[in-house]
Amino acid sequence: MSGTLEARDIVKTFTVTRDGKARVINAVNHVSLSVKPGEILGLVGESGSGKTTIARIMIGIERASAGAVVYNGRAIETRSDWQALRREVQYVFQDPFTALCPTMRIGDALAEPLIIHKIGEPGERQDRVAKMLELVGLHADVARRLPNQLSGGQRQRVNLARALMLGPKILICDEIVSGLDVSIQAQVLQLLLDLQQELDLSLIFISHDLRVVHYLCDRVMVMYLGEIVEQGATADVFGAPEHSYTRALLAAIPDHSRALAVLEE
Amino acid sequence: MTAPVLSVDHLSVSFPGRAGPITVVDDVSFTLAAGQSLVIAGESGSGKSMVCQALLGIVPDAATVTGSRIDWRGRDLLRTTDADWRAIRGAEIAMIFQDPTAALNPLITVEHQISDAIRDHRACSRAEARQRTIEVLGLAGFPEPEHRMKSYPSELSGGLRQRVAIALALSCGPALIIADEATTNLDVSIQAQIVKLLRRLKDELGLALIFVTHDLGLAADIGGDLLVMYAGQAVERGPVRDVLDDPCHPYTRGLLRSAPTLTSTRAVPLRPIPGQAPKPGSIGAGAPFRSRCPVAIEGVCDVLRPDWTTAGASHDVACHRFARDGREGVQ
Repeated sequence: MSGTLEARDIVKTFTVTRDGKARVINAVNHVSLSVKPGEILGLVGESGSGKTTIARIMIGIERASAGAVVYNGRAIETRSDWQALRREVQYVFQDPFTALCPTMRIGDALAEPLIIHKIGEPGERQDRVAKMLELVGLHADVARRLPNQLSGGQRQRVNLARALMLGPKILICDEIVSGLDVSIQAQVLQLLLDLQQELDLSLIFISHDLRVVHYLCDRVMVMYLGEIVEQGATADVFGAPEHSYTRALLAAIPDHSRALAVLEE
Repeated sequence: MTAPVLSVDHLSVSFPGRAGPITVVDDVSFTLAAGQSLVIAGESGSGKSMVCQALLGIVPDAATVTGSRIDWRGRDLLRTTDADWRAIRGAEIAMIFQDPTAALNPLITVEHQISDAIRDHRACSRAEARQRTIEVLGLAGFPEPEHRMKSYPSELSGGLRQRVAIALALSCGPALIIADEATTNLDVSIQAQIVKLLRRLKDELGLALIFVTHDLGLAADIGGDLLVMYAGQAVERGPVRDVLDDPCHPYTRGLLRSAPTLTSTRAVPLRPIPGQAPKPGSIGAGAPFRSRCPVAIEGVCDVLRPDWTTAGASHDVACHRFARDGREGVQ
């Protein structure tokens, strides 16, 4: 069964000390969002807008100062609630270089979620690792390699594979293609779409690149200074942005679509 | 057309490898005039940053730079002594790096970093250096320079730090500025401001500008000429508009097809370039892009390095298929 993940009225404050004075910063200010089964939700905004913070709260890496995270109608409160949630919801990090332990072989890194959640027998785990590598378009031999023997695109495939090991329903992808070269970025985006179809996943796709979000997402939420300033179907928000911040963001995107239009003729 | 200030002739950079030298920049040539801009575009490993480092004489110690000539205002940068480099670097050719945090000294105020650089290069009093610091910070769009130049880099946002780095680059009145992925780490709205600033400085101060990027959309915003690099070699060159409107090299076309734009949706899937870039040193003879090229010609592309073919007014392509079959061939 697919799940619906919701954030209800989340507030997150950080206290920073500067020049000896403590100051409270509202990183996330009364934000509610939900991702429906099979949906790709884009979360856009610039650095400091709170998009990563809200995503980290939704998987329990960060605790909200107020508000609730709700999965399938049930509020996530206890430690075991969070543990159960993290089987169904997985997080893929931005930097494919730091997200993998440099001294751990890829096969062991992929088997680790199974060990942590006590799934399967040791022999069977290796089979699942091999199958998963194949699913993300890597050769099964990659299991014996170390991260520094892989390219950035291959590492990001490994990160996706690791997030998928537990058969999650929802993936939170935090800027997962930002560090990749354009030709590799397109490969990873295609893989993400294929996986989403095949495994019936929901995605929360965090990005500052509106071009990628426009390509990928069904629905988009624009965050600015800890608040959602605009949301709706991607085509509507990009086609007729209502908030001045969304308009400014769109105007700032370098675009070569004119060149592409010629290509498609 | 004004005479070029910089003319790079057959530049190559190589590193020693176990089985002979590994070439990371292979026979790259271009020219640049005052008040003009050149965008060097390519993916990681294409050698674009190494070209810039060669122009500043800051390649790693292990690297060997060879070529016919790098003509900089009548001087040959390939045959420059260390003492001459010190007079050129910063004063005549300045560089803006990708990471302004790493480019600035965290322990020294903005004012002192810039005025120290000025006093290193010209004999002037503290007061004059201070005046010049305020002036270049102003040029770089740094707000309230008199007041805020007392800040340390850590007290500034990423965008402001990059403006300080630009001011630092401008401080000694260079004739050429090299911006190596100078906006890559910035938010899009800040990126747009910095690009606008660089364009304005180029026009107002008559600077020559080399802008290195992996983003072809940004190339269009900078304008001027475009040099597309792949695996250490230049594969297409020409005015940015011409190259983007009528890309003739299979790699340039592939790059444009794999980059989403503000109009792309899943209905028209991106077409990624299959495979990955070859390892440096593994290209040998032949076209660098042949292993990923959909229209490679067997027996030709794998043995012979393509020469430049004319695709339009000052628009050239290094591709066997284009040379043989023209635009139809690279569709």
